[in-house]
Parts: sequence; C-alpha cells; structure tokens
Amino acid sequence: MVAKRTMTLNLTDAEMRVLDELSVRKDITKTAVLRQALRLYQTIDARVDKGEKLLFENEATKEKAELMLL
Amino acid sequence: MTTDVSTIYLLDVATGGSIEAELRDAIEQAQLDDWQVKWQPALLAVLQDLARNGVPMSQWPQSWHWNWAQKTAQVQGLLAFRGFSVVACGETQGLAQVDLRKAGREPSQVGKPLVYLDYLEVAPWNRPELGPAPRMRGVGSALITAAVALSVDEGFKGRLGLHSLPQADAFYRKIGMTDLGQDSAYQNLSYFEMTVEQARAFLEEE
Amino acid sequence: MKLERSKDWWMAQARREGGAVIGAGLLAFDPVPEEHGSGAQSAAAEETRIAFGKFVNLMRRRRGFSIEQLAQAADLDASELLVIEDHNHYVPEPRTIFKLAETFEVSQRRLMQLAGLTAANDAGFRQEAVRFAARSESVQKLTLEESSALEAFVAVLSDREPKRVK
Repeated sequence: MVAKRTMTLNLTDAEMRVLDELSVRKDITKTAVLRQALRLYQTIDARVDKGEKLLFENEATKEKAELMLL
Repeated sequence: MTTDVSTIYLLDVATGGSIEAELRDAIEQAQLDDWQVKWQPALLAVLQDLARNGVPMSQWPQSWHWNWAQKTAQVQGLLAFRGFSVVACGETQGLAQVDLRKAGREPSQVGKPLVYLDYLEVAPWNRPELGPAPRMRGVGSALITAAVALSVDEGFKGRLGLHSLPQADAFYRKIGMTDLGQDSAYQNLSYFEMTVEQARAFLEEE
Repeated sequence: MKLERSKDWWMAQARREGGAVIGAGLLAFDPVPEEHGSGAQSAAAEETRIAFGKFVNLMRRRRGFSIEQLAQAADLDASELLVIEDHNHYVPEPRTIFKLAETFEVSQRRLMQLAGLTAANDAGFRQEAVRFAARSESVQKLTLEESSALEAFVAVLSDREPKRVK
C-alpha cells in the first residue's frame, strides 16, 4: 500500500452531510469520496487547461449545458 | 512516487515448474523500452508469418497496434490512471493500465466507482494465440489480481470493469465475472464486471 | 501497493489460466475498420487503395528501407506498415498518412485520397492510380519499369502539376 498522510479537514455541516450521502450512495468510504473528487477535479482541470470545454448532454433531448470551471 | 514490488510466481509452460516474478505497481521506462525493442519485433515476426501464409486479417491476433509510449505520456501525472507490470527473467511479461474514474453498470453496483481495466496486454511470447509454445502462464491473471487488489485498496471493494477482447471472453466468465453483453460504444467488445462478492471469491480462492 | 500471496496461490492461478487468451481494453483491440457505404464507392476506394499499398511498398524499396527502417524513419508502427502494403481493405489513420506523405515528400491531400480516407473528385486521378497499380509488381528489386511507373505516379501525387484535363 502506498504510504498516506493524515490531514484534518474543516467542513461545514452541509458539506459533511453531502460527504456522508455520497459515501453511502457510492458505497465507498468518505476518504475514498474525497480522493475520487480529487481525481475527477484534476482530470477536468487538465482538459480545460488544454482549451477543452466541460459539457453535459441530456441523452434524451440532446440538450447541452456548459459547466463553467475556473 | 516509488514503485512497490510484490513477488509473484508464474508457470513455466515448458517444464511445468515455477518462475519467480515481480509485480510492479507502475509502468516505467524499462517497460516502454521492452515494449519497443522486444514486444514489437516479436509481434512483427508473427504478423509477417501470417501475411505470408495468407491468413485472413479477421483471424489475426488482437492488440498489435498500440503505442505505449504515447499512452503513458498522455496520462502522466494524472491521479486517475495507474499502471502495473509483470517482470520476469529480466523482461516485461505483461502490462496493464487502469482508470479510476468509471462507475459500475451491473444492477447491484450501478453508479458506484470501480477500477476500470483500460488496457491489459501479455507479451507476445506468452500469448497462446500467437504460437505453439507460450513461455509463461499466469501473467494475465496476475495483472487482473493487481487490478482487483487496487480496487479493494482504493475503497472500491473489489469492483472491476473491463471490455474483453473477443478471444478472452471465456476466461473472464471462468473467473466469475458477469457478462453484461456487447457494448456498441466500444466496437462491440463484451463488457464484464466483477461485483464485490465476485471479487471476494476471486481473491480468496486457494 | 503490495500483494501478499503464497507461492501456491499464484501457481494455482497460473494453472487455472490453462491456454486462455487474456487481454482487455479497446486499446488492446485492433479492429479492422468495416467498410460501409455504397458498393460502387467502396470499389473505387479499393482500386486506389491497391495503388496506395503498392506505392508505399515501392517508395520504401526505392529508399532501400526495410519495413522496420521505414517505421523508424516515419515514426509509425512496423506492424501497420506491413498491413498497409499487403492488405487493400485496411484504412489507415490520418496521422499515418501525414507521416508517410512527409517521409516520401508527396502531397498529403493526394495520399489521403489514395488511401481512401477522402474521396478523389477527379476520375483522372483514380485512373492514374489504377494504371500505376497495374504496372507495378511486387518483387524484391525495383525493376526499371517499376521505377518509371513510380516516378510518373510521384509526379501525380506531388500535386505540383496543374489539374489534368480530360
């Protein structure tokens, strides 16, 4: 296992609630939720940095919505 | 980041004995070099043979047209991707890369994060479809074991997803994975998933 | 990540593999692009692709390159070059065409048409391609005839000449 370091996070109640919910819904630990968030954020940031846009497409209507980032 | 090395064992097909090998949790320059100077020429020799003997292209082995150097450069530094390699007798025997951003499709794990096996390839000289005498057995299994173990390690409980090469479908069924059918978005390759239960059975089997 | 398993465990896994083929991922799979489109169109594309394969083969040999040497010079997969030379139904990637056009110093646009990636509008070009394919034979050494067929075709491919009028 890769050595990991411990860090204290300061989260509001609302944030904590979201973290709890995601942890249950995704069936992963809270730490795993945050690590997954970091991976996704990095992926998106790297692509936006290259000049790409982040779009969500509604599969039924084909409607696209741009998610603003940075 | 330092590379962790686990000792594993492979089956020497010629003697039936064991070969000590390394399972490394990274793909490094040595692997890229092996791919370039050892895998490619070995594959080329097989292809030249097939072409000479007039074997139709539809019957050619899969996975011969892939550039590792390009792919690893693309994912360098990204947390979402991890690589594994099996090294034995001073040579790279197999390579795999996983993507940690994908989610499950199997009914019991829809939307739940899993380890997606982006790419798995065994060295040409170990591939039974490429010649009459593959040298080592167990390379592919070891790489799958690594991917499942990573899934456990990452808190994904062993969940694994992959698109199988047509010739490999039977193997994934044999190790207990669920066949979710052909995926039209992936050249009609069959998509397989390992559930938490299946992963537990896979890792415990003795 | 460290894996701690007994030697027996690994050996049992290896044995269970049997003679199974193991591989995964779209990137490990190299599908032959299926030909869609109308019969007449693909027949025309096939004609020029025969010329494309022969062209690559002759240009390579004219330079005295082996497939591996050309692969290195053009930064391409040797396995792909092998397929290009021998299989008319293979449609290469645009990058491959770009690299080959660069290496052989011919027009990328023309080479794309020859490889069937884009449609050639003029029938004259297709005729040239067919004539070239018919005149060249796959032999070890470039014959005089092959050389002249190649020279003539390179001129067509270099795009420098004004549009041929039929």
